[in-house]
Amino acid sequence: MMSVGSLTDYGINRDLLQTYLSSPIKRRAEFHGFEGIIFADSGGYKNLTQGALDGSDFELEMNQARVFEMQQQLGGEIIVNLDIPIEPDDSFEERCRKARLTAENVDEFLELSKDYPAARYLTVHGYNYSMIDTFMQELQSILGDIDISATFDGIALGSLVPKKDDRELLINAVQGCRDVMAERGFDDLPLHVLGISNTAIPLLAAVGADTFDSSSYMQAAINGKYYKSLLSTVRVEDADFKDCSCPVCSSPELRSRMNGNTQYRKDQMGPAAVHNLYVQMTELKNIRERIQMDGTDGLVDYIENTIGRNDSTRKHAHRVVNESLGGYF
Amino acid sequence: MKRTPTVNEVNEFLEIASDFEDPLELLRESLSNAFDAGAESVDIRIKSQPDGSDIIIEDDGHGMNEEDLKSFFDLGNSSKTDSIGYKGHGTKIFYKSDHIKVNTSRDGITLSAEMKNPWEKLNNRVLPEYDVTKTDAPSSRSGTLIRISGFKSGEGFSPESLTYPKVHNYLKWKTIVGSTAHFFEDDFHEMDITVELDDEIDDSREQLTTTNKFEFPSEQLLPGDGEFPAERMCKLYGPNEITLNHAEGTSTVEIMGMAGGKAARNELPTFGRHSTQFGVWLAKDHIKVERLNEAISHDNEFIHFLFVANCQDIELSANRGKIRNKSSSVYQALEEELSHFLSKVTHDPWFEGYLEARRQGELARKASSESTKAHDRVDRIKSRGRFMPSNDAEILFGLQRPSAQSNAPEIFVEDYHPTDDITAIVRTDGTLQAAAVSSTLVDYFDDEGPLEPAELLICWEWGDTDELREIQRTGYLGSDVDIDFERSKVSYETKDGISGSCDVIIVSKYIDTPMVEEAGTVSSTSTD
Ligand SMILES: [Zn+2]
Repeated sequence: MMSVGSLTDYGINRDLLQTYLSSPIKRRAEFHGFEGIIFADSGGYKNLTQGALDGSDFELEMNQARVFEMQQQLGGEIIVNLDIPIEPDDSFEERCRKARLTAENVDEFLELSKDYPAARYLTVHGYNYSMIDTFMQELQSILGDIDISATFDGIALGSLVPKKDDRELLINAVQGCRDVMAERGFDDLPLHVLGISNTAIPLLAAVGADTFDSSSYMQAAINGKYYKSLLSTVRVEDADFKDCSCPVCSSPELRSRMNGNTQYRKDQMGPAAVHNLYVQMTELKNIRERIQMDGTDGLVDYIENTIGRNDSTRKHAHRVVNESLGGYF
Repeated sequence: MKRTPTVNEVNEFLEIASDFEDPLELLRESLSNAFDAGAESVDIRIKSQPDGSDIIIEDDGHGMNEEDLKSFFDLGNSSKTDSIGYKGHGTKIFYKSDHIKVNTSRDGITLSAEMKNPWEKLNNRVLPEYDVTKTDAPSSRSGTLIRISGFKSGEGFSPESLTYPKVHNYLKWKTIVGSTAHFFEDDFHEMDITVELDDEIDDSREQLTTTNKFEFPSEQLLPGDGEFPAERMCKLYGPNEITLNHAEGTSTVEIMGMAGGKAARNELPTFGRHSTQFGVWLAKDHIKVERLNEAISHDNEFIHFLFVANCQDIELSANRGKIRNKSSSVYQALEEELSHFLSKVTHDPWFEGYLEARRQGELARKASSESTKAHDRVDRIKSRGRFMPSNDAEILFGLQRPSAQSNAPEIFVEDYHPTDDITAIVRTDGTLQAAAVSSTLVDYFDDEGPLEPAELLICWEWGDTDELREIQRTGYLGSDVDIDFERSKVSYETKDGISGSCDVIIVSKYIDTPMVEEAGTVSSTSTD
């Protein structure tokens, strides 16, 4: 997962940005042997909050063409249109206006990318069925009745980052999005949830989300946190690295750095971030395997023993199992 | 043979016996003993006497040998370590009497034991003794008959307080008779129970017969018709057997229960307020002990639920009234598991549907009561001769009526603050004025409304002229007041020499015509 918007995180300068964009990610030496798929987001969220990409010594105004150009430079294999996310306080009219702006970008995006060999995801925005349905109506008012299923390879549900701690809302949003997709006949497409990677993941997966992304593993490390599991963190200083068998925790040198035996904080937190990512990926793999099992027992079992055992997430876990996974009774 | 209780702690005896507060606990202990003796039926008769009550308990269990008899009378010396009467504390409640007689037959031998004045002796700090005589029983029938005379039941067994419904409720909520074990055991030990209250206590029926099974109401998953669509809704949950892992090992908890409306709950032998009977019960030996309603999260009223969670690893106080090991890891695990289990129940779509049906019923009832009220209002308006305000706002509405404006001063109400003394700011001839509103000017003075801030006094009527004259004569809160009826003006001068005046508008003056012909239509011509 690579976001165009995050290219200027951490105050990089223009030269460094140029370096980032100089060759596709997979052709770089440091990514040799990497077999994942490069998902290049548009950074709509960044554009919204800051108006433009803001580096340390430059500002980059973004538009659909420039975003697509950068997605190509990064070697994106899944790309999304430039979108205009909604904000919690937006009025109905404001959301409709943003939907139409996004739709205009989508129009341009489809034209620009028609010969580019990548999977194309359409961004949609909303917190519930009605908002997402209205978004689709506005989209179609600009694009006409296009065949979403034939035109796109997936749906990316955005605008949820400001609501990342409201699990009820996240569940409603994903459920609502799946309902809209089913009613409008593109339910065969995979659904990606942009920017969410917390404990809601198993629940969102249960109600129909297929993929996730976020930089929370890094954010956690920047805040000095070390994942014990998807659900719990400790301060890096208090972590017991023996409990983890990831490559980071298995390395004496990296362990020593995480223990604080280093001059720069980034050298302490860098390994922690990789460990966190490793924990997240292991959990996601576990969840994916359970979803792929016959029936829902595997996932119910997972939810039961993880978020079902946490006071703050329990009721959401039980709601999802009862409503979407066959129920307990 | 003479037998003296072997534990020589008179005080401990007294203390434990005194701990039993509710005389009905005697039934609980007797029923547990009968159950432990393998009885298939047990009969209890209670008779109220001036000096206490007489109770006879008869069961067809395997009877007692001398050892059993000893533990029946003794403290902390029970041979029945795996049974409900464990430690023999329970039978200490029998000591609160004048006389205990036990006849028990087993293996062709009958033992008769008798204890005289146990309560009096204990209170004199003397340990009571019991006599045992042994005879060969002619038949091989086994069983035990206990007769307790002069039982210190206080008012507990008096006609005023004891009734069959109360006994029934007690049996099902507090004794082995309310067991949920039958949901879990294939070889469940069933027992028939008969309780007979003396006619003097309750003559409403011959006797009460039941079994030691707690039976839930039948399920009704869909809402009913009528005003309270959810009242008979009911769903059963369980039986569920859950293994608890905790620091001391593993335990099992058996959970069985229901959620449902009041009518469904009333099919159970409830007695008194539901709030004391429903919720989540913790049980041992399938006898409910204490509730743990906190296991149901706060937004779900516990009253909709009746769950029994039986766990053999909880420990009870000597009188079995409380759980003793609440700080143990077993108990904590039990607490956690119950909260977890009940969270699944409260997020069951059926339960959410049940709450929704309740809300819909409430809404429908509200709608119907509102529509009745609206009808009444329409009727009242139809029957009155002319517009008649019933509150300050309506006085202002009176001023704003189109028909009032032909001869009324042109006044527009710009705002309305019902809790302020200056209720409204109004616009007259383009200027804004602070207006106080009152049904009559008399009322305004009676309510001690302030004069100074008011530029306008809007009243429906003047009120009693003589009362106004009295106010003019005696002054108003220390101020001189002059009321000019002709010019509709109140002038005043305070003690401190502040003087002023305000205009009075009498709204009724402008509304003489009956306004309403039919509900919803406004007529400008008068009708009769
Ligand atoms: Zn690790």
